[in-house]
Amino acid sequence: MSFVQNFPFFSIIIAMFSGIVSSVLSGKKARAVSITAITVTTVLSACVLAFCLRTGQSYTYMMGHFPAPWGNEIRAGVLEGLTAVLFGVVMFLSVVGGLHYTEEDVEPSKQNLFYIMIDLMLSSLLALIYTNDLFTAYVFVEINTIAGCGLIMMSQTGRSLTAAIRYMVMSSLGSGLFLIGLSLLYDVTGQLLMSPAKEAVARIVADGSYQIPLLVIVAVVSVGLAIKSGLFPFHYWIPDTYGYATPTASAVLSGLVSKGYIFLLIKFFYRVIGTENAVHSHIINALFVFGVAGMMFGSLRAIMQTDTRKMIAYSSVAQIGYIYMGIGLGTQAGMIAAIFHIFSHGATKALLFISCVGLYKASGDRTDFLALRGSGYRNRLAGAGFLIGALSMVGFPMLAGFISKLLFATSAFASPHKMLITLIALAVSTVLNAIYFLRLLIGLYRPTKSGSFAEMEQAEQSGRGGTAGSGFAAPAANPWTMRIAIVCFIILNLILGLFSQPIVRAITDGLAMFG
Amino acid sequence: MSPTLMLNLEEEVSMVLFGVGFTMLLLHRNLIKKIMGMNIMDTAVYLFLAAKGYIEGRGVPIMTDGVQDASAYINPVPSGLVLTGIVVSVSTTALMLALTIRLYERYHSLDLDRILISMKMEEEEQL
Amino acid sequence: MIVLLPVLWPIAAGAAVLAYTGIGNSKKKASAGSPASGETAADRASGSDASGTGSGAVAGSAFGHSRITALDLIYMAALALETVLVIMAAAGGGSVRLFSLTDTLTLGLRVDGTGSLFAVLTSVMWLLTGIHSVAYMKHEEWAERFYGFYLIVVGVLVGLDYAADLVTLYVFYELMTLTSLPLVLHELTKEAVQAGMKYLFYSVGGAFLALFGIFYLANVCGDLSFTAGGRFTAEMAAGAPLLLTAVFCMIVGFGTKAGMFPLHGWLPIAHPVAPAPASAVLSGVITKAGVMALVRIIYFLVGPDVLRGTWVQAAWMVLTLLTVFMGSMLAYRENVFKKRLAYSTVSQVSYVLFGLSLMNPIGFTGALTHVVFHSAIKTCLFLFAGAVIVVTSWKKVDQLRGLGRVMPLALAAYTMASLALIGIPPFSGFVSKWYLATGSLASGTGALGFIGPVVLLISALLTAGYLLPIMIRGYFPGQDFDGKEIEERGLAKKEPSLLMLVPIVILAAATLLLGCFPGPLVAFVEKIAALVM
Repeated sequence: MSFVQNFPFFSIIIAMFSGIVSSVLSGKKARAVSITAITVTTVLSACVLAFCLRTGQSYTYMMGHFPAPWGNEIRAGVLEGLTAVLFGVVMFLSVVGGLHYTEEDVEPSKQNLFYIMIDLMLSSLLALIYTNDLFTAYVFVEINTIAGCGLIMMSQTGRSLTAAIRYMVMSSLGSGLFLIGLSLLYDVTGQLLMSPAKEAVARIVADGSYQIPLLVIVAVVSVGLAIKSGLFPFHYWIPDTYGYATPTASAVLSGLVSKGYIFLLIKFFYRVIGTENAVHSHIINALFVFGVAGMMFGSLRAIMQTDTRKMIAYSSVAQIGYIYMGIGLGTQAGMIAAIFHIFSHGATKALLFISCVGLYKASGDRTDFLALRGSGYRNRLAGAGFLIGALSMVGFPMLAGFISKLLFATSAFASPHKMLITLIALAVSTVLNAIYFLRLLIGLYRPTKSGSFAEMEQAEQSGRGGTAGSGFAAPAANPWTMRIAIVCFIILNLILGLFSQPIVRAITDGLAMFG
Repeated sequence: MSPTLMLNLEEEVSMVLFGVGFTMLLLHRNLIKKIMGMNIMDTAVYLFLAAKGYIEGRGVPIMTDGVQDASAYINPVPSGLVLTGIVVSVSTTALMLALTIRLYERYHSLDLDRILISMKMEEEEQL
Repeated sequence: MIVLLPVLWPIAAGAAVLAYTGIGNSKKKASAGSPASGETAADRASGSDASGTGSGAVAGSAFGHSRITALDLIYMAALALETVLVIMAAAGGGSVRLFSLTDTLTLGLRVDGTGSLFAVLTSVMWLLTGIHSVAYMKHEEWAERFYGFYLIVVGVLVGLDYAADLVTLYVFYELMTLTSLPLVLHELTKEAVQAGMKYLFYSVGGAFLALFGIFYLANVCGDLSFTAGGRFTAEMAAGAPLLLTAVFCMIVGFGTKAGMFPLHGWLPIAHPVAPAPASAVLSGVITKAGVMALVRIIYFLVGPDVLRGTWVQAAWMVLTLLTVFMGSMLAYRENVFKKRLAYSTVSQVSYVLFGLSLMNPIGFTGALTHVVFHSAIKTCLFLFAGAVIVVTSWKKVDQLRGLGRVMPLALAAYTMASLALIGIPPFSGFVSKWYLATGSLASGTGALGFIGPVVLLISALLTAGYLLPIMIRGYFPGQDFDGKEIEERGLAKKEPSLLMLVPIVILAAATLLLGCFPGPLVAFVEKIAALVM
């Protein structure tokens, strides 16, 4: 056994322990520990990815000394490695990019708590990616929920507290359903590990017994994870949650957390139920329908917003819809498109959230469209970041979003029954995306004059206590950490857009390994 | 009624309880009752798991009198799951309660709708 | 590799201009500094609006008091160099493969006859309009920003013309929409922003409609590089049930830029608010980008043989004829001068599309020659409109009475261009319309083939109806015209400055010359037509 094979386990443990250690550290030290942990785990995951690519196969890793049907297992393959690396990168950049604002938003005495939550979030995400055991998955789903809730309530405003309780309620519903689903599965198959469970499911399907319980299991688990990832119509907690957390938290929550659950669902379909059975169960059609509905609804609501943060949050609802639509196509190609969109949306949305903050800071901390007018000039880099992010969302060629759309469209052709709906949904939602993102972009690059300018001058003075008389004309100073993060995010977006082929190939290989 | 109804009594009860808990968590406006609902929901799952693990006429899965034969004991795995589940649900409950206290201190209410209304009013005052 | 130069150079130059001047208004604001800068900016804006009338007097003298700055010279030199580079690329030929987007989708540029025709046309129009814009921009704010984006757009357009495959074309098409948007938005008044939004949404909507088709084609034929005559055989077409729908989507989608019904709405909104040089190139050149995209798709990708005689051809012909007629009608009823010209563009570009929809060599020849002629004519007309605005600040057609007393020479140029657009024999428009009419009759499309020339004729009459009265009432204002305003403002014999006048006159002369000696151009286009059919 190669030493590299230990790495998935190491990375989960490192993340978890850095969280535990941070509880006795000061905020600054906790931050350093957290960033180190993210870096180290990302490097480790990269090693795992390289290992799997080299050997060309996945492996399972026994935790403790009990063999397969009883013990606990980790499984790593190309897809797991790739997801872990990309999640790690996005996480790293989100934390680094929001560093400065985390300091501003969170009380000094609670800083280390924030980083504990980040560490726990990281470890639970990694565990969700790597685990081969359903009950372990459940435990880490709950850890993830708690960490997410902690991140949301960090800024301690009334909004964030209510957002946190709503998030918590919806998440508890989701995890309750997930738990009952896997209890039922345990009842029917007697297994909790994914691979033996799959064999048992195959036996059950073959002899035709327990058809209805199996259907219920698929339905309950899908709905549970759909609630947790915010699929329409379970999305109502999203706007407040993403909109009013600190920037890092927003970026991590919308970019990664919801995607972790979707990844788990894909894993559940592939590794436990088997794609064939999942497709036959017609649950997948429901996911497809709600995905398409979510695309429309999210975009329409986003158009109605006048507050940037809410607009971006509603756009997340739409993007989650895309992913479920891809899963709902029920084909290999659709799944590849969905997974690629997980990556591209993660990278893009995190970029939007981080660069948005720079624009708010340049507009006296206001977030409505009017105040943001011309802020693209006041904070050039943040403006550029937002530009790239928005264009990628709209599906501008050479950026990540375009490749997602291309993959979705190509996969649509492979499933004749859903082709027309998919294509129409793609076209309409793209146009809707364009409407709200480009409208905001024009606002950002609209030089201010006359009425609105004077008004913003006022906002500026009340915002900074009148200290910055001519501050509006001068570009707002970006913390260097944020500059790095935005530049890296832009590069990440370009990489996903320009060099998508190796990634798509890796996803294909990884799905084949799920088999 | 079919005879299986009496045979699977624990499962049926647990499903009913799960439904009750789920609905409470989803629909009740009072935060404390929401948390109670969540706990009922979790407990229902534990009942279900425990019922699944129990085998009529067998003993606790703790080795007694040196009997190593597995057929003497009930299935220990669900019990382990229940224990883990309890730990998880305790921590989520603690977190929700803490949040509820925070909200109560701030808005002097446990009613989620009322909390949302007063939050909106507070924000408007700030503007 | 030489083909890369005309694409990269203006983009680099434009970016340098933008970087040097600081993109927008920040420089001015920084110099104003204090919180009161908002008010000064507002004052300046309203001041320039109010003094628009007065400033005509200043612009009257050759270069007047508005000095030519170093930036203006660099800008014109950059455009001239661009023209040279394009011609070098057209002469040098070659192709370059830039990049692989996925296994099958690549980005690349390649020089061919059609591309060269469009690219050379683009760069020449751009140069002439650019010279005009130097004078025009003396009366607008933020000239530097205009220069920067103006330079970038020409690079993008040349890239679009030389695109080797559909994906590259699409990339440049989207880039063109985005980079030309600041030209429409330029004045940043409420109307301008609204018009810009409208322009953006129509373009983006159209582009995504087209994208739909591109995805389908990518799926069916894998490789999307352009081949003269198309890549589809009858069997391949039979194996792709949705091919016709996809093509139709692309026709409507790319037709947006060409102002084709039903997505023509942006043209009359966007043109009047844009600065005159911008509307000149929007109308004269950028609409042709939509034409270019359709030429590439129909004649270089799908192939006319597959489409001839299908419902797509019939529907397309109906749409174009409808647009031709409707555009002329609306232009006839329009009072705002630039808007009237914009409707005229709607109508005239659909002449081109009508020619393309015939899918026979004669129609194709007519279409491509009309591209060249209409470009020259419409650019000339819009530059004239710009000159009128700068000198007199008149925007409505009613106000233009007695214009012959103000700028007889420019009005003469306008007259030539108008006659050419109507299609009076010695002028250029006649040649292309002749080909279009004969092509229509020879197209074998039954009744539509006969309706075509009739609609073209009616439209030509309407064209005369909406262009000539301006000239007639300009030179012969009638008995009751007292010319009081002209005298009071000292406008008599105020020709526009040389920088404005020269491009207008050159273009007017070109319409005449091309009409008298169309041989080389027609021969060149016929060679392309023989290649694709």
